[in-house]
Amino acid sequence: MASLFNLKIIACDGVFYDGPSEMLIYPADDGEIAIMNHHEKMTGVVDIGEIRFKLEDGTWQHAVISDGLLSVYPDGSVKILAYSCEKPEDIDTFRAREALERAQDELQQKQSYIEHQISIANMARAMARLKGASHHNN
Amino acid sequence: MASTKEIQNRINSIQDTMKITKAMYMMSSMKLRKAKKKLEETEPFFKGTQIGIAECLAHFPDIRHIYFDNRVEDDHETIKKHGFIVFTGDKGMAGAYNHNAIKMAIQRIDGLAEGDEYKLFVVGEVGRSFFISNGYNVDENFRFSSNNPSMHRARIMAEYMIDLYNKGELDRIDIIYTKMLNSITEELCVERLLPLKTHSFLKEKAAKIEADAEGTSKDAKELKEGVKHVHSLNSYEMEAISQGDVFIPFYPSLKGVLEKLVHNHFTAFCYGALVECSASEENARMMAMQSATDNAEAILHDLSIEYNRVRQAQITQEITEVIGGAKALKKKKLKKKLQSQ
Repeated sequence: MASLFNLKIIACDGVFYDGPSEMLIYPADDGEIAIMNHHEKMTGVVDIGEIRFKLEDGTWQHAVISDGLLSVYPDGSVKILAYSCEKPEDIDTFRAREALERAQDELQQKQSYIEHQISIANMARAMARLKGASHHNN
Repeated sequence: MASTKEIQNRINSIQDTMKITKAMYMMSSMKLRKAKKKLEETEPFFKGTQIGIAECLAHFPDIRHIYFDNRVEDDHETIKKHGFIVFTGDKGMAGAYNHNAIKMAIQRIDGLAEGDEYKLFVVGEVGRSFFISNGYNVDENFRFSSNNPSMHRARIMAEYMIDLYNKGELDRIDIIYTKMLNSITEELCVERLLPLKTHSFLKEKAAKIEADAEGTSKDAKELKEGVKHVHSLNSYEMEAISQGDVFIPFYPSLKGVLEKLVHNHFTAFCYGALVECSASEENARMMAMQSATDNAEAILHDLSIEYNRVRQAQITQEITEVIGGAKALKKKKLKKKLQSQ
C-alpha cells in the first residue's frame, strides 16, 4: 500500500473531509489529475466535476465538487477549498435537473456577459451533480 | 402634575411599544441562531480562503498583471478609482450597527487622496437610502441584501465587481463589513480585495517587521494589534511568508491560477462578509431590542409610581371635599335648628 497523506476538503458549508487518504483524483482544466503522497508542492485549479479519493481501507470515496483551489504542502498534505462538495447520495437529482433546465432556459435568452457566464457555470454544476448522482445510483 | 388619564395613556402607549420590542427581540434571537449556525459552518471556508490567498501570494512570482495593478499603464495613472463595498442592513432598529458601517465608509471617502474618484456599492437598504439621499456616488445597479446570504448572490456580486475592475472602471476595491467576534462585541473591518499584494511587497513588509525586534514600528504594531488596514499585513500573510520564500509550480498556468484565485477569493469574501453581517445585524438588533425593553420597563415602573401617587392625591382631595361639604351641611342644619328654637 502506498503511504498516506492528509487530505482536507473545505466547502462553504463546512469541512467536507479531513483525514488520511492514499490517492486523490481531481478534475483539472485538461483532464483528471491524480495526487499521491510526496507530491511536489504546488497550487492548482480544481474544475467543476467529480473528485474521488482512496481511503485508508482501500475504498474509493466519490464526491461532486464545484470549482475551487487545491494546494499541496511540503509535508505532502493536500488542501482543497471549493464552493461546494457533496456526496453522490446526498444529491437531490430533482433539484439538480431543475437547475439544469433553468440554466438552459436562461441561456436561450439574451443575457449580459456576466449573466451568461453565471448561467454556464450553473449548468456545469448541475450537470456534474447529475452525473455524480447517476454513478451512484447505477 | 399630569392627570391620571394622561399618565394612563402614556403607560398604555409604552406597553404597546414594549410588546413590539419584545416581539422583535424574539424574532431576531431566532434569526440569530440560524445565522450563527451558518457562520459556524462557513468559518473554516472563510478562514481557509484567507490563508490560501496569503500562501499563494507569498509564493507568487512578481509579474505585471491587472490584478496586481502594476501594469505599465497602471503605474502611469494619476487618478485611482476606488470602489467601496459597504455592508449594511435592510432595516433599522439595530443599534449602532448600520451607523458604524456608514460612518466608516464616509471616513474612507474623506480620506481619499486629492483627485481620486470613488464609487459606493452598498449592500442593504438602509445604507443605500442614506448614501443616495445624501448625494454620494452610488452604483444604482448594485442591489443586494445581506438577509439570507447565499452563495449564488455572492457569486453575482463578485462577478459584477471583478467585471468592473477588469474593464478599468475601478482600480481599488475595498470591502467594509462587520465581523462578529462574540455575542457582545462586533468589529468593523476594512479589507482590500483588489488589487492583490505582490510578493515583493509582502516580503518587504515582513522583513521590516522582523528586523525590529522591539515591535515599535508602525507595521509591527498593526500586526500585533490586528489592525485591519489596507496597507498592513495580517497574521495569515506573516505566517505564510515566514514559511519560506520559494516559488512553487502553478497548474495549469500562472495566469489560470491567478484568475481562479481572484474569483474564488472575491466570492468567498463576499459570502463570508454576507454571513458575518447577517449574524452581526441580528445580534445588534437583539441587543438593541433587549435594552429597549429594559428601558420601557424602567419607565413603566416610574410611571406606575407616579400614577398611584396622582390617584391617591385625587382620592384624598375628593374625600376632603366630601367631608368639607358634609361639614358645611351639618353646620347649616345646626344653625337652622338653633334659629327655629
